[in-house]
Amino acid sequence: MSVKNNEINIDREIGNFHYNLTPAHDAGYGLTEETIHFICDVKNEPDWIRELRLRALEVFRSKPLPTHWATEDLRNIDFDQIRYYIAPGTDVKRSWDEVPTEVKETFERLGIPESERKFLAGVEAQFDSEAVYSNIKKAVADQGVIFMGSTEALKEHPEIFRKWFGKVIPTGDNKFSALNSAVFSGGSFIYVPPGVKVKHPLQAYFRINSENFGQFERTLIIADEGSEVMYMEGCTAPKFETSTLHSAVVELVAMPRAKIQYITVQNWSSNVFNLVTKRGLALEEAEIKWIDCNIGSRLTMKYPGVVMKGRKARGEVISIALAGDGQHQDTGAKMIHAADETTSNIVSKSISIGKGRATYRGQVTVPRHLKGCKNNTECDALLINTDSRTDTYPAIIVRGLGNAAQHEASVSQVNAEQIFYMMQRGLTEAQAMSLAVNGFVNDLVRQFPMEYSVELKRLIDLEMEGSVG
Amino acid sequence: MPTLEIKDLHASINGQPILKGVSLIIPQGEVHAIMGPNGSGKSTLAKVIAGHEDYEVTSGDVLMDGESILEMEVDERSRKGLFLAFQYPMEVPGVSIANFLRAAIQSRLPEGKELEVTEYYQQLYREMDRLGMDRSFTSRSVNEGFSGGEKKRNEILQMAMLKPRYAILDETDSGLDIDALKIVANGVNALRGPDLGILLITHYQRLLDHIVPDNVHVMANGRILRSGNKDLALELEQKGYDWILESAA
Amino acid sequence: MNTDTESPVLTGVSLDNLNNRFPHWFSEERSAAWSRFESLPMPTRTDERWRFSGINRISLQGYTTSLEPTHKEIEEALANSAKVENSAGRMVLVNDHVVLREETERALTKLGVVWIPISEAVTAQAGILREHFMAQFTGLGAEKFAHLHRALVRDGVFLYVPDNVEIEDPIENYYWVGGRKTAVFPHTLVITGVNAKVTVVDHYFGLEGAEDTLAIGVNDLFVGDGSAITYISTQFWPGKSLTFHFNSTILGRDSCAKSLNVHLGGDFNRAESVSHLTAPGGRSEMLAVTLATGEQEFDQRTLQDHQQPNTSSDLLYKNTLDHSARSIFSGLIKVEPGAHRTDAYQKVRNLLLSNDAEANSMPGLEILADDVRCTHGATSGQIDPEELFYLKSRGLNETISRRLIANGFLQEVFGRLDQPALADKLGSYIEKKFDLSHDPKKT
Repeated sequence: MSVKNNEINIDREIGNFHYNLTPAHDAGYGLTEETIHFICDVKNEPDWIRELRLRALEVFRSKPLPTHWATEDLRNIDFDQIRYYIAPGTDVKRSWDEVPTEVKETFERLGIPESERKFLAGVEAQFDSEAVYSNIKKAVADQGVIFMGSTEALKEHPEIFRKWFGKVIPTGDNKFSALNSAVFSGGSFIYVPPGVKVKHPLQAYFRINSENFGQFERTLIIADEGSEVMYMEGCTAPKFETSTLHSAVVELVAMPRAKIQYITVQNWSSNVFNLVTKRGLALEEAEIKWIDCNIGSRLTMKYPGVVMKGRKARGEVISIALAGDGQHQDTGAKMIHAADETTSNIVSKSISIGKGRATYRGQVTVPRHLKGCKNNTECDALLINTDSRTDTYPAIIVRGLGNAAQHEASVSQVNAEQIFYMMQRGLTEAQAMSLAVNGFVNDLVRQFPMEYSVELKRLIDLEMEGSVG
Repeated sequence: MPTLEIKDLHASINGQPILKGVSLIIPQGEVHAIMGPNGSGKSTLAKVIAGHEDYEVTSGDVLMDGESILEMEVDERSRKGLFLAFQYPMEVPGVSIANFLRAAIQSRLPEGKELEVTEYYQQLYREMDRLGMDRSFTSRSVNEGFSGGEKKRNEILQMAMLKPRYAILDETDSGLDIDALKIVANGVNALRGPDLGILLITHYQRLLDHIVPDNVHVMANGRILRSGNKDLALELEQKGYDWILESAA
Repeated sequence: MNTDTESPVLTGVSLDNLNNRFPHWFSEERSAAWSRFESLPMPTRTDERWRFSGINRISLQGYTTSLEPTHKEIEEALANSAKVENSAGRMVLVNDHVVLREETERALTKLGVVWIPISEAVTAQAGILREHFMAQFTGLGAEKFAHLHRALVRDGVFLYVPDNVEIEDPIENYYWVGGRKTAVFPHTLVITGVNAKVTVVDHYFGLEGAEDTLAIGVNDLFVGDGSAITYISTQFWPGKSLTFHFNSTILGRDSCAKSLNVHLGGDFNRAESVSHLTAPGGRSEMLAVTLATGEQEFDQRTLQDHQQPNTSSDLLYKNTLDHSARSIFSGLIKVEPGAHRTDAYQKVRNLLLSNDAEANSMPGLEILADDVRCTHGATSGQIDPEELFYLKSRGLNETISRRLIANGFLQEVFGRLDQPALADKLGSYIEKKFDLSHDPKKT
């Protein structure tokens, strides 16, 4: 089904507002050693962090942009025109009533306190560089679960923090993980004690409020032996004229038999460069599952990974990407098999609308002398308009006997006869398109918690409304 | 009396004429059957009336209650009360029948008015029971993995739920065994009434034993060659189509 | 080893002493290609087009070109250049020297087919040769070596099939190499007019005692409107060889090409294969069979380039890997804007027979038109133990059972040829390779 192209103007009003606040701390534009000292001083950080940041800055400077495989659009990021640290200067509050009015209103408009009451075990809300609210239900805290901002955790639980920080994703992993290591602030820290199964999800919400701002949160989740936790993050930013940078690093550690589910629903405005490094380490019989939904942004580059280091560990990436007009979703997955009988599964579905471009990039590695490793990858792309684009670049490396990998990908468009059929039942073309697209991703959306899947359907409807002319 | 009127309709696909002047009047409350050999243009007629974009209407008109529908989009025609039961119903993966029908019914309600969900399900289950469809059907994706009979039943279910004023049933009997045929025919007969005009398109007389038409038209080579009452169908069954083709020539 | 700064050394090479064989335009282009070869860097790790490739195995040092074949070598070559029973003719080259052109009952000449050495075509067919000779590079990464071929090509096969001429029987070209450290540059150029049909088979072999060859082969197919070309090559270069193979197919309107490359010989082997579907209605089938043993590496890069609507392509690559052999498959289906109703398929299947074998698969898609059907798949796995058990339960030993299964895995591709005699011949090469790989002296 080819659809005439028209200018697509997506209603992203849900996140498109901001308050003019005067921050207490603003590191100003550009990134130098001074910026790092400013951040360390404001946050009153230990020396090892200061040194780590300074080393990371060197690495960041020394690494070229990865344009030998990634898009040239990266060159449009002006690192000197970004503000690397902006904080309201208040402590993290345990009650919404104590949160400054405008900040509180921001999160109320995004529906966070309401969700917290309804179905969450804990919430953390980050506003620009720092968490402003963090709370965990008492019953969950009583089980020994730690859930707080990374800034706080560094002070309160240095022994766990230091043990795992940067162990899954070293500073020099890539240019943007180095950048994050140099200027990171905020993000969540979770520790789940052995055997504790957190019934309800823990949620973090990342909000960019300031123009020309770069958000660099750092999340570290450790699920101890036999524990289970589900973490969800949501992200929005207002639509500014100039570009905004979001470059997070997320490290997960699943100890033997632990299970971590990490769910992302991002709805960035189309001025955001979203360059995120996410990786989990799964030990014996542990499970790490990334459920990733990428909507919006100018460019997203994100390839959640699992290093399966223990026998029978399991890694999974479920990914939905919606590339609207003028957007580039460059997403995928990385599965590193490093022990016998490890299994991984990747299911990726992308939709390209208007001049949108969806790219799948994957890497599956099964090294020599492992036995019984299995990978399965499925990538399906749906093209909506005549000038939509999709690319698939997987790399599958399999060595030795007793391992198997299979990869399948398809590209299709919405079937014209299917649309005719639905329109014959009275649906408009946009409704029919929307149903077809929802049908296309339906099996993946079902893996999201109910509240998120409803939100996701609504976002897809909004995107599709503009796509038919 | 309100009618669906087809006036000297000519239509072509890729410049190739298929319909070469079809005229037909289907009043509400009546059942008309079109019979004809393969390639006579029967299915094309159905798709042209529904508004399929592959076909170009070169002349003539289609009037619903006196109003031309040719300029209307497919969905607009549907909401005006036109229903096409497809010969080959499309699979719509990932979209459940329940959600699909809800969306279709919702599209018929005035803006701002929400579908009454309980009532909807009551009606849906009632119609499904009538068609001998299991409740689990509602959560299955539209036509995906359905047998031929299930697909056809699903079409009639949708017809029952959407309450059209005119329905075109395109080869609804094809691919059905006799039991399935009876169920589908019973479903259609239950919907017969003064507010519905039906155009049955079929290759075989068999269907007309179960859905008895008021009028029978014979179509060949893009035209209606002869019209008559239900006895015409029996005559065709005995003599075959050649007889009509010859007498027309 | 820092390959970036290493200057390639090819002894015995002088452009001047060959130039007197060629017309001016041809020599000019040779010199230009030599300069481009010298100016381009050796492959680097950061070049995505060489991802996973064992580039440290590429060294151009110490090779000698244009060795005059000895009588003994010619005799051996002729004795082993067997024709299939329905052959339309054979041409035999040894070290880039044409030593035989043998046509069956002048069948080709009578039909107006031009089948001559390139060294003759440069003057006899200057116009058409100049228009087509290396007109299209694969663009898949190994251009440096394609330029080296252009600079040092000495001879090869030129085939022109005029309009409406259909040749059912295959035309076979044998390229032999003799000696140690010999460099050869085989070249087959096939051009068809309108509504023509032809089957061409290239065999690349080493004579007794040959080893450590540098072989850079090119074959270009220009498939005229409504024409059909079947092209088959078997690469069975001697051990320790460094080989490159460039295969470009340019398809006209409603034309059809089927190419099958069988990869057996060499040490490090890079094969680049592209199909450009330049007009509506074109269809290209790209097939390859690889049996990799010992420490062989087969680095395969492909492109299915759909430039126009209503074109189709179908790629099937099968690799069987034993010992510590490696394969790399990087394939791209590219659908250009406006190339609607493209139907493209790409499949790579790897069968690993040993614990040290390694298969790298990078099946890629770049789709810039929406009314398309494109799928790709890649699988890597082993022999199904149940299947092995079944064969063994019938009394076959482990080695034979595995060989049967591996052979069956590859045979599927030969089944796509509608030339049973040729399929048998290719099957015999596979058997020969299996024999060699189980002979410890030869591996």
